[in-house]
Amino acid sequence: MLFVWREAFAGLRRNLTMSIAMVITTAISLGLLGAGLLAVRTIDRTEDLYYSLIAVQVALDEPTSAADPDCSSPVCAGLRDELEANPLVSGVEYESRDAAFERFQRIYAGQSILQLVRPQSLPATLRVTMADPLRGTEIVEQFTGRPGVRNVVDQRSTVQDLFSFLGSVRNATFGLAVVQALAALLLISNTIQLSAFTRRTEVGIMRLVGATRWYTQVPFLIEAVVTGLVGAVLATGGLVLGKIFFLDRLLSGRLLANTIPPVGMSDLLLYVAPVLVVVGAVIATLTGYATLRLYVRT
Amino acid sequence: MIRLENVTKVYPTSTRPALDDVSVEVERGEFVFLIGPSGSGKSTLLRLLLREDVPNEGNVWVANWNVGRLASRRVPRLRQRMGVVFQDFRLLPNKTVAENVAFALEVIGKPRHTIRTVVPEVLDLVNLAGKADRMPSELSGGEAQRVAIARAFVNRPLVLLADEPTGNLDPETSTGIMTLLERINRTGTTVVMATHDRQIVDSMRRRVVELSSGKLARDDSRGVYGTGR
Repeated sequence: MLFVWREAFAGLRRNLTMSIAMVITTAISLGLLGAGLLAVRTIDRTEDLYYSLIAVQVALDEPTSAADPDCSSPVCAGLRDELEANPLVSGVEYESRDAAFERFQRIYAGQSILQLVRPQSLPATLRVTMADPLRGTEIVEQFTGRPGVRNVVDQRSTVQDLFSFLGSVRNATFGLAVVQALAALLLISNTIQLSAFTRRTEVGIMRLVGATRWYTQVPFLIEAVVTGLVGAVLATGGLVLGKIFFLDRLLSGRLLANTIPPVGMSDLLLYVAPVLVVVGAVIATLTGYATLRLYVRT
Repeated sequence: MIRLENVTKVYPTSTRPALDDVSVEVERGEFVFLIGPSGSGKSTLLRLLLREDVPNEGNVWVANWNVGRLASRRVPRLRQRMGVVFQDFRLLPNKTVAENVAFALEVIGKPRHTIRTVVPEVLDLVNLAGKADRMPSELSGGEAQRVAIARAFVNRPLVLLADEPTGNLDPETSTGIMTLLERINRTGTTVVMATHDRQIVDSMRRRVVELSSGKLARDDSRGVYGTGR
């Protein structure tokens, strides 16, 4: 078996420039795949974060808001009981006009908008926590236009923009990863053909002295797999550097702090890296095998 | 050991058959010269024995293998029991003499300790013990051919095929090669040697099988190269 490994590494050294090109392309492709996977992870995290916070807000109309500090009026109590009985709803909380004003003052403490807002401009609301945050629209449809209701807002729709941004980051990285993977596949295939061609005399002699096809071809496969693995390791290294020097700074900066949860090193090393290693090895093996089957006839 | 039964081989690019209804049998331990002008079918015959090609008609038997019908995954087993030597030696230029011989063993997965003992023995047999670490480019033609013979013989093959092994060598060196092939033949290995070398055939007085335009022209048990010409 030692012999086979020696042949494989001799092959990698012989076509050194091709080997390097192959490794780099593979690494970039796998790096993009890894970035896409991290984006998916981050999107999941962000969604969890927001969905535990967001709710459907049923704002009450002016007469009800003005008259009802504890939701005891028949209109408000009726709406609350109906919401609580709804199977989509996990909890209902009443926020009176005064409570809303207090919260407003807290959030915008020290800002000029405070001067413009009086309690009268804020409605009393029923904050509805959903059992399933994705079905808020059903509550919106059911309660919009009901007596005593000013309007119904699903907060999820306001964070939707953020998710669609993260989603397009994910799609773009996956798209690039596929294009790069294609380039990597072609390079691996090409290099194996080149390698097989430069070694055709050797392989011919091996076949004459009774080497099996498997034995003559394994070195080429190992070349491909080593490329895939080295590519995966480099890709992981690249992602770690990218996380430390780019993502961590970006996500802890003013703009995005507390908006998107930070990407964890454990996500990268325990979830993404193993995927890249497996994908790199499997794709390289399949490419190598297919190339040997289709193009290398010795 | 070798039996050809009505073997015909036509190459797709040619209308005339390279071998035309040839039947011949070689016993275990025989030494056979295969002679005939260029294009008479000598190399084709050797290629069929090695399963580098398959016959269009007839059967080729080597030991108990029906070579033409052998599944391609069984071909390596056949070749592991045969040795081949060529006019152009076919040594690997980037490996030493010892590595070239060891190659034939490594390639079929022999363990290292076996290789370490067997290779020096064989190099000793071909009188190259002192040149184990030389590169092929540092060898004379005769030495290179002896390395090729060592490689062909290191697996103790049932049959040794030699395709004009002295074709590139001067007469004196050729004699040395023939002595070596005779020695290998005496160990019980069947030897089939294709050659143009009249002097060698005439001096050794072994069985001669002559091909002419793909047909069997002559089969003498203690023959000479030929009369006339």
